[in-house]
Amino acid sequence: MTSNISDTSNISNTSGTLCAADITDAGFQRLLDRLSARASSDYYNPYTTFDWPPSLPADEFWFSPELLSVHGTQYAENLAPAQLRALSRWESVNFYSLNVHGIRELLIEVMRRVHTPGFETPSEFFHHFMGEENEHMWFFATFCLKYGGRIYPSKKLGPAAPAQDPRRENFLVFARILLFEQIVDHYNVHLAADDRLHPTIRQLNRIHHQDESRHIAFGARLVQLLWERLLAAGLDAEDRAAVSHYLADYLSASMASFYNPAAYRDTGISDGFALRGRLLNHPARRAAHERVLRKSTDFLTRIGIPLAL
Amino acid sequence: MHDTLKPIVDWLRERNPEFDEIPPDLDLIENRLVDSLGFMEFILLLEDVVGRELPVTELSVDQFRTLDTIEENFFGGERSW
Ligand SMILES: [Fe+2]
Ligand SMILES: [Fe+2]
Repeated sequence: MTSNISDTSNISNTSGTLCAADITDAGFQRLLDRLSARASSDYYNPYTTFDWPPSLPADEFWFSPELLSVHGTQYAENLAPAQLRALSRWESVNFYSLNVHGIRELLIEVMRRVHTPGFETPSEFFHHFMGEENEHMWFFATFCLKYGGRIYPSKKLGPAAPAQDPRRENFLVFARILLFEQIVDHYNVHLAADDRLHPTIRQLNRIHHQDESRHIAFGARLVQLLWERLLAAGLDAEDRAAVSHYLADYLSASMASFYNPAAYRDTGISDGFALRGRLLNHPARRAAHERVLRKSTDFLTRIGIPLAL
Repeated sequence: MHDTLKPIVDWLRERNPEFDEIPPDLDLIENRLVDSLGFMEFILLLEDVVGRELPVTELSVDQFRTLDTIEENFFGGERSW
């Protein structure tokens, strides 16, 4: 088929294809009730929760050095200490920018499905999810604009994924959301615990992690149920291999988005695109990606989708 | 074809070894030489080759559809970005 519009802009004519999720399950319902109750009792006003100092110290790390895209390579050693700190500022802005764009995409997908046939069971929790994600997008965007003066633009416009069977589409949408949240959470947990970072940075990451722990518990169960439904509908070996291949590509593309030539340029590193290519092939970086992705690959293996990364 | 397109052709061939050559009017999207997950990589390469950031959200996928349209849209010199 010709797919000349991006999948995120094609909202109006897809609602009829989203049914057939059929995710009624007593255990799932109990989990949803528990998570919705916790979302209500833990609710905070994001617009008054954070201290936003007028500026953050330019001579400190904003992002843990071990999380930087150059960590473990000779390229980190070649940077002067001040340049490494500058990179940590721009890579923190890149991280929150990725969150802003990732949240836009997932909100569009969840919004398409809430209160549509097949999604009766999770719709109540979807309201908590969408409300919280809107707030996350606000505080991440605020950080970028206030301290970085910009949100790095998304480079993600592209061809829509080819038309899928709705069951497969539902599974892939929520699998992407879960994997994205697990990757972000790895960084949030590390940043929240790093006492070299400014309290506002740690607070942002700690609070996001608290909300995301509910989203991830929800997503893991939902993705497993959608996968079981997909298998039950009949999925041959070739389809399974295609799903596994797609998810492996998705994880690689997600990790690659941490290597932003614009962030290298803002740091004053020349030829950031070439540096990106060298880093993406560096054994130390591949090992680092494996660590970031461990929870995701373990989860996928557990539900029966081993990945060849 | 512009010599400056060579890194793009090389990139496409490396990812799609089943293509010995890439006709300038071949639909790269329809034929899955660039898929949705590879598109970001493709944009970053194109930005590197043309030497400036592209306002991706203001562009249409059609502008990247073939080597001809890429040359026309990003190497023609008459565009305002
Ligand atoms: Fe979030
Ligand atoms: Fe979330």
